[in-house]
Amino acid sequence: MTATGISFRGVSHTYRPPRGQPVLALQDVSLEVREREFLALLGPSGCGKSTLLYLLGGFLPVETGEITVAAKRVAGPGPDRGIVFQNFALYPWKTVRQNILYGLEKQRLPRAERERRAQELVELVHLRGFENSYPAQLSGGMKQRVAIARTLAVDPAILLMDEPFGALDAQTRALMHEELLAIIRRRPKTVVFVTHDVREAVYLADRVAVMSARPGRIKEIVDTSFAGERGAEIAGTHAFAEKVEHIWGLVRNEAILAQERREP
Amino acid sequence: MAGVSAIGQALLRWASILGVLALWQGFAEAHVVSAFLLPAFSTVVVRLYHDVVSGDVILGIALTLYRAFAGFALAAVAGIAIGVMIARVPPMRWFFDPLVSIGLPMPKIAFLPVFILWFGVFDASKILMVAFSAVFPVVVSAWAAADGVEHVLLWSALSLGASRAQLLWEIALPSSLPQIFTGLQVAMPIALIVEIISEMAMGGEGLGGSIMTDMRFADSPGVFAGILAIAIVGAGLVRAMELIRRRLLVWHAEASAA
Amino acid sequence: MKAALTRYSPLLLLAAVWEAAPRLGLIDKDTLPPLSAVLRAWMELLRDGDLAVNGLSSLQNLSAGLALGVVVGVTLGILMAWYRPIEILINPLIRVLYPLPRSALIPVTILWFGLGAASKIAAVFLGCLLPVVIGAFNGARGVEQVLIWSALAAGAKRHQVLWDVVLPAAMPEILAGIRNALALSFILLVAAELLISQRGMGYLISSFGEGGAYDAMFAGVLTVSAVGFFADRLYLLLMRRALRWRA
Repeated sequence: MTATGISFRGVSHTYRPPRGQPVLALQDVSLEVREREFLALLGPSGCGKSTLLYLLGGFLPVETGEITVAAKRVAGPGPDRGIVFQNFALYPWKTVRQNILYGLEKQRLPRAERERRAQELVELVHLRGFENSYPAQLSGGMKQRVAIARTLAVDPAILLMDEPFGALDAQTRALMHEELLAIIRRRPKTVVFVTHDVREAVYLADRVAVMSARPGRIKEIVDTSFAGERGAEIAGTHAFAEKVEHIWGLVRNEAILAQERREP
Repeated sequence: MAGVSAIGQALLRWASILGVLALWQGFAEAHVVSAFLLPAFSTVVVRLYHDVVSGDVILGIALTLYRAFAGFALAAVAGIAIGVMIARVPPMRWFFDPLVSIGLPMPKIAFLPVFILWFGVFDASKILMVAFSAVFPVVVSAWAAADGVEHVLLWSALSLGASRAQLLWEIALPSSLPQIFTGLQVAMPIALIVEIISEMAMGGEGLGGSIMTDMRFADSPGVFAGILAIAIVGAGLVRAMELIRRRLLVWHAEASAA
Repeated sequence: MKAALTRYSPLLLLAAVWEAAPRLGLIDKDTLPPLSAVLRAWMELLRDGDLAVNGLSSLQNLSAGLALGVVVGVTLGILMAWYRPIEILINPLIRVLYPLPRSALIPVTILWFGLGAASKIAAVFLGCLLPVVIGAFNGARGVEQVLIWSALAAGAKRHQVLWDVVLPAAMPEILAGIRNALALSFILLVAAELLISQRGMGYLISSFGEGGAYDAMFAGVLTVSAVGFFADRLYLLLMRRALRWRA
């Protein structure tokens, strides 16, 4: 077991809404994520892929099964697992700089060190000149860059991303893909990336775990590492197209199933 | 399972209220504070019952509601008319805009002695005081509502052959009703608050007048019984406004949300 | 400057009518003393200290009651949103008490605290408590889950989250609740002073009214109205400043 290896064993999760029947969201999920691997969790909406991520983050209690990080059971949130949400989850009352500083303040680093690291991250995500802007003054792509910088600030070994580019337009999303890959090249991390976009998953990830419609299960794990190459290097290749095609086939049926279940 | 928890929820909801009432009763019976400062809850309920049976409270409620409603109705009619005119007629906007922007946040209650001076201490004075206090939120909401009527709605009605009068009654009014009603819902509690203050200051019976009299005679069970009656009336009014709103705005998205 | 003059020109018109109508005999001078007489009375109140003594007393009681209401209200509201047992305990009481026209409590505060400052402070406090509680409760309850999770993931403790995330995220609704409370506090204070008291602007107005000094009475009414209006404007300014992050 490596320092940041993640393992899900027999994880099930039941969602209990305040009103109405409990829903089995995840059923018997077992999965290993290797150190410094980029794993995409792919599935139709409502398949529980975000729930799986929240369980790993420690935000929801693990009721059935076990999740371990570096051989230790997950028992709550911690700065070893940074998370980036779809709708950015920035603190709207804090400026860009203050948002990035927040995690560093919780780490009790000396002030000068905090400021130095915050500035470094501002540069890393290309937001120089916007340090004192409030989130409401930024575009969607810029907001998500701030959110990524805020998460990277505490230097987590594991990066959890919950459809981080889902709220962005296609062009911004493509740019953000390049930036994310560049950041991970400079600061290697274990990444668990939730998405429902097949192309995005194949483009970014080393492996793609395809999930079934509710109750969510791991249907198949597809290797998308292309001999260590990623992103633009492989996007136009025949192999890439084949992988997308294959995974799309897997997801399609599940998406139809999910659709039917939502509109009885 | 769901049934049990629903009953449990209802019990919990009442538990704290019953708890506070029990605490009140216990405090009073243990003479922690004197019966003058805090008469026992049972004493207050018995007193309210007697006042109801003797008809005093019923008359008080009737008088208070009559004057509060009359003032509220005046405020509603005048407020909606002024609000719509501000939105539609430029000279009206010129004249009323500064008055409304100053009048809304201004503490109108200070004008109470002025109303006594001008209109005396009887019903007319109280009704006008209530109307003056409650009119501003109605004006503002009617103004905003009339300003916000979507032009596509008006245009489509015009192209379907509606006349100008029909436009106002059949399109503009219904589409601005939710917002106007919000203003009325703000105005209603103000009307009651001010009516009670007016009765306290001017006399003339009513719930506010009677608790003030009871206070002057140091009749504390009477004061608390009066407050209990006012609380019941207030709760009934708020609830009634909610029901009317739901009935009136069945078509509105909020009705299905609630 | 010129825009403001055009905007507020109807007020000048009204002021002119106010001055002219009693002078021309259209209205009895006791019913409506001319504006100039009211202003003269105001200067006199200023000179002999009546305005300072009573105005200060009113402002003190208002600020004390309001401050107490804000501190208690914000604490209660946020705790209600954060700890379920507190919500179960307090929320039903609030639902029952909220529709009560708060002015009905003035006689009780007088029974309990007498005719002095304490009863005025209590009336203002009771009047503004609930809007603040409800604002803080709704604001804190509406905080997005992901904001809390982000803070926890960054290493914040639960009580730190309350301070770092819940309070600022609830601030827009807290501040809106306080604005309602400010308006209510003026109503309750002036009403309590008008009814029974020995000091304060409401007392000043009602005693001039009873004594037939109508020019001074109108001067008092104008003063209270103006202070209430400017208090709201000042508050709005500070509120916008505090919430400038909302863009």
